[in-house]
Amino acid sequence: MKNGISILLSRIATPTRVGPRDFIIVAVLAAVAFAVPYFAGTYQQEVGFRILQLGALAAAWNIAAGYTGLVSLGSAAFFGIGVYTMAIASNAGLPIALCVVLAALVAGLFALIVSPALFRLRGLYFTVGTLALAEAMRIFVVNSPWFGGQAGIYLTARAPKAYDLYWIALLIAVFVVVCVLLLLRSRWSYRMQAVRDDEDVASQLGVRTYRTKLWAFGLSGALIAIVGSIQALNQGIVQPNGGFGMSWTIDIVSVAIIGGMGTKVGPWVGAVFIVLLGEFLIQFPEIHLAVVGVVLVLVIRFMPNGIWGTLTLALQKNRNFS
Amino acid sequence: MNSIDPVGLANTVLGGALLGGLIALSAVGLSLVLGVMKLVNLMHGQIVVLGAYAAFYLAAFWGISPLLALPIVFVLGFAFTAPVQHFILAPVAKHGEEAGLLTTFALAIILENLFIRFFSGDSRSLDTAFSRETLAIGPINLPTIYLIGFAISLTVCLAVWMLVTRTSFGRSLRASSEDPISAAIVGIHVSRVRWGTFALNGGLASMGGVLIALCFSFTPSSGSEYLLTAFAIIVLGGLGNIMGTFVGGIALGVIQSLGAYFFGDGYRTFVGLVMLIILLAIAPNGILKRRRSL
Amino acid sequence: MHLSTRRRRLAGGLAFITATALALTGCSPIGADGGTSDSSEPIRIGATIPLSGALAGFGSFLQWGYQHAVDEVNAAGGIMIDGTAREVELTLVDDKSDPNEVTSSIKTLISSTKVDALLGSCTPDLVNPGAVVADSQGVPFVAECTPIEVFKSVKEWTYAWDIFFSVADQAVAPFEALEANGIETNKQVFILHDNGPDGQAIGNEIWPAVAADQGYTIAGNIEFPADNTDFSAAIQKAKESGADIVFISSITPAAISIRKQMAAIGWTPKVIVAEKGAEPVQFAEALGDLADGIIVGAYWDPSFGYPGAEELKDAFESETGLTSSQHIADSYTAAMVLMDAIAAAGSLDKDEINDAIGETDGIYAVGPVKFDDEHAAKIPVVSSQWQDGVPIIVWPTEQATGDFLFPVP
Repeated sequence: MKNGISILLSRIATPTRVGPRDFIIVAVLAAVAFAVPYFAGTYQQEVGFRILQLGALAAAWNIAAGYTGLVSLGSAAFFGIGVYTMAIASNAGLPIALCVVLAALVAGLFALIVSPALFRLRGLYFTVGTLALAEAMRIFVVNSPWFGGQAGIYLTARAPKAYDLYWIALLIAVFVVVCVLLLLRSRWSYRMQAVRDDEDVASQLGVRTYRTKLWAFGLSGALIAIVGSIQALNQGIVQPNGGFGMSWTIDIVSVAIIGGMGTKVGPWVGAVFIVLLGEFLIQFPEIHLAVVGVVLVLVIRFMPNGIWGTLTLALQKNRNFS
Repeated sequence: MNSIDPVGLANTVLGGALLGGLIALSAVGLSLVLGVMKLVNLMHGQIVVLGAYAAFYLAAFWGISPLLALPIVFVLGFAFTAPVQHFILAPVAKHGEEAGLLTTFALAIILENLFIRFFSGDSRSLDTAFSRETLAIGPINLPTIYLIGFAISLTVCLAVWMLVTRTSFGRSLRASSEDPISAAIVGIHVSRVRWGTFALNGGLASMGGVLIALCFSFTPSSGSEYLLTAFAIIVLGGLGNIMGTFVGGIALGVIQSLGAYFFGDGYRTFVGLVMLIILLAIAPNGILKRRRSL
Repeated sequence: MHLSTRRRRLAGGLAFITATALALTGCSPIGADGGTSDSSEPIRIGATIPLSGALAGFGSFLQWGYQHAVDEVNAAGGIMIDGTAREVELTLVDDKSDPNEVTSSIKTLISSTKVDALLGSCTPDLVNPGAVVADSQGVPFVAECTPIEVFKSVKEWTYAWDIFFSVADQAVAPFEALEANGIETNKQVFILHDNGPDGQAIGNEIWPAVAADQGYTIAGNIEFPADNTDFSAAIQKAKESGADIVFISSITPAAISIRKQMAAIGWTPKVIVAEKGAEPVQFAEALGDLADGIIVGAYWDPSFGYPGAEELKDAFESETGLTSSQHIADSYTAAMVLMDAIAAAGSLDKDEINDAIGETDGIYAVGPVKFDDEHAAKIPVVSSQWQDGVPIIVWPTEQATGDFLFPVP
């Protein structure tokens, strides 16, 4: 099933574009970002945390949605798995780093379990399936007797400082970016792109489509769960309606679309935009989400490649003309 | 769990069947939109809620009984969604299927927040004289409102079925669904058909919302639940198959009631969603193929 | 060749990061920012409240209660801090009924707005995450709208305080009301409760225990998720059990649906108790005469005669044109307790304010407020019953504002 967005995307997201220069840029940006807590206050660190968190989520989502064509509205399921794994594992006394790894493993396992059902769905039906999956997970956690019900779980670990959280988020964001870059350099990216552009043709060309999709979906989900595990530390108390809340899916999709789906930089541009818009609109709480909705409608209509995608296309055009 | 009481179980299953048929009205239009327009309409739930609010305010200000308000609600739902398709969805259709899906996703967010802004976050409910009556058939007690809703839903579904199979609009609709380019070549105004389909869905979903609100309470945030229920129903019934949707509703109602009876009400929606995922998975691409049977 | 170049450049990048890190280890990151001490600055109080989302029904009452208290204090000249009168500035943020938003908004209120103290949101779902953040960052936090047992069960609090009723008292109240009014039933109780923090506590533990104590038997007990909408299976089972009395603990939409579905299957238990969900006036508005006879725990009525209670109700109704709710009394009281504590401390030092909150001992609009060792101040519970769209106090008898309606019509 070939579709418009994919056609547009394939013009931008060409895997060969990733070179050593990208890694150096990431390293420099990371070094600058690392220094932020030394000169910016707690508030800036918290805003930075949210930008890194959302950017990492959208970049992780992008692996499945942007590069492989698996547009998922089930991110909340993976996020919630991360949140709860951290809460349960850290309360059991495991060190934080191990809890994060555990979150990724549980999410990967979850992807493996649901993939036989989900991957029979193509295109839009996959999207609907993931939406149902996330909601089913939330209802399951609310109902089942093992996860504290609606009351949730209080984290007994000492609450981290704002700069601790910021640095952890930075570390994870860099990890996600490096994963994305390495993935784009590898042969997997060609397979993913082939699957995205036409699954049947890809399969005829000898691409193992199921395995390719599973890797992309599993990696994407595991990375989302890693970010989710940090949210548990940020909150200090986890609840099903928070961890598995639809709001995460809404945020992730908004960030990725506004920034530019299937681009390396888009998720980060989108995250900065959404978080700063949220801070700006804090005095107008009643219209906040509605404004995000309107921005989404406008971006999809007038900038179908998002802010970053549109910018790069415009630059390319310029270059071609001159 | 308590031991199984046959009368209670029969009550549950029959009630579930009636309720499912009633809720099917809210899903019929979604099935058409998906089949004809290839659009996953994520604002469907909000249109359902909008219908419920329309009936609520018609009753509050002019004392119009919700059942009598159904035709007015249909017109309002139609009139509200027609411009949405024309001005917002049609222009993004060229960007591909995901663009439409994500636009309706954004519209859902906007609508939900507008509801809260203008209708407050309070729980509302619709009431008629029938809401609290029961019909006793032997030992089995069935809510009268379920029976009335079931009958209305069946009637409307039949009318839609006639519209699609017996009228020229229906022929255009089926032609545009199967092959929009050929349809355009033979002189069918495809964009007008899409417009009509989306607005028809708006009207039907709004009426479905009224029936649902007669049985339950609703809030501005109720939409997403109705969206998923509607999806489960159309998948069960076969996409684009109108009477199939009605039967799918009954089937889902029974499945959910049984799930709720044995595992508790909390698992009602869960059972429905798991059903949806399993069905989507075991109908390999068949869901796509079957829409030709429209 | 290509590979090794890449490696070398990557290594270069890493070296750069390390160098920067080393250069910076000399200084330390900026932690909690100091409070303001400039006497021209206002005293800043912040809160998140649900203005949108599922719990928006509470938000408007909290908003009014907090703002009214702050306006009153400012009209009286503000609060004396270190000998200078300062205005109070209230910052309210919408938490969208989302616990994640509570966390991030409370953090922003502390770090950006630089609040001196915080007030709570509503329901344990939204109060607990805020209290956890405030407690770990050492900012005094006065909440209401969360039953004290649920609040206490989270952790040992240092900076967070709660003024509300006790679920145990609430559980006993309807039994006492039945007893005091000489109501005769088959003493069979069926419990329907949601799995929220308070629902679980009351439905699984407290009600069964109190019922046994009072000589009632439990005919059945069903738990459901808080946002459930269809209860027909549960109601069917309750009906089959033959119980005269139904106890419900749920949020408002669920309580409305349950009552409607009881009517739809033609079953009217003799006594219906619907805690939490049946309390706001929207419950009675949505149900009309179906609400009649339903008993719900309450903690405030202007007729109780606490100082300022009548004035509070009149002010709310004349300013908003809406029917008052008891939530204006607890939110107003929480804000007053906090501001009295700031005045008593005479300083904006958070620990001093916190100590002063702990010393609170007075009678407020909602009733007497005095915190126990676990940071909770219990307000007494009464039983009210919906009659013609108005909550009538039916127990304790000396505070009753009308007769007990039995059985449910």
